[in-house]
Amino acid sequence: MTNKSLLITRPNHDSSTTYLFHWSKPIIGVARQKNFKIVDLTGDRANKTDFTGRMKKINPSFVFFNGHGDQAVIMGQNNKILVSVGKNEKILRGKIVYARSCSSAKKLGPRSIRSGTRAFIGYTEPFIFMYDPQRSTRPLTDKTAALFLKPSNKVVTTLLKGHSCLEANKRARDGFRRNIRKLLTSESKKEDTETLRFLFWDMRHQVCLGDPSASL
Amino acid sequence: MTKKKIISKVGDAEIRKLVVERLKALSSGRQISIGDKDSFTKEELIKKVESGDPIGQKIIEVELEFLRALKKGRIFDE
Repeated sequence: MTNKSLLITRPNHDSSTTYLFHWSKPIIGVARQKNFKIVDLTGDRANKTDFTGRMKKINPSFVFFNGHGDQAVIMGQNNKILVSVGKNEKILRGKIVYARSCSSAKKLGPRSIRSGTRAFIGYTEPFIFMYDPQRSTRPLTDKTAALFLKPSNKVVTTLLKGHSCLEANKRARDGFRRNIRKLLTSESKKEDTETLRFLFWDMRHQVCLGDPSASL
Repeated sequence: MTKKKIISKVGDAEIRKLVVERLKALSSGRQISIGDKDSFTKEELIKKVESGDPIGQKIIEVELEFLRALKKGRIFDE
């Protein structure tokens, strides 16, 4: 039996993962408000041993991955593999999963659904974002990164509020769409309009697999 | 010459050139996070497109997908 709990992985070994690390902080605040039990695997603790141990011990209802990945794997600190197709995707059985990592909804997502994962939200292609390196010491103040990471955070906040995976996927995609519309129709800085191609890409390749009605 | 033949004449080299030109127009002060090798400057991405490495190929896909959607007016339909 799963409980109302969230396991989140937050490696921080390079600039990309550090951005995801910081942009996940507001999520943890929302989860606390909603009385979720939180297991936060940060930095070196985002490794396979800790991940597997906590998954077995806590049996979280929701798993939120941040980090690098590819079609077949999701990685933790220093790009060490946490979940891999054909090896341990069964560990996600019975969970709702959001993978903010590259391409894992292409193979790992479908395979995990076949192994009993309730729903898997992720990206069938690389998750791309732009950021302003001058803001890299304070990622949450980076307005360029916010164009990408605020909409993707919507997946999680929507789920934490009890809505379905279908709704979570939709609200996040709507967030990307809103940013695209704003950049196309209002006077925006050149640096921001340059994000359009990548915002469109992320929106287009974010998918919800498994049971769309699944909720926490 | 049919339309299909004309399109097929736009080869990889032309497409790569188009994408490189679009990347050159990006501001220098931004990093692009893509894939498991952290993030890149526009100059690094241009080299990747020119050399045809996997990240470069993916950037070509990104650009073409966006341009096609713009042309068909399907940016908001997705």
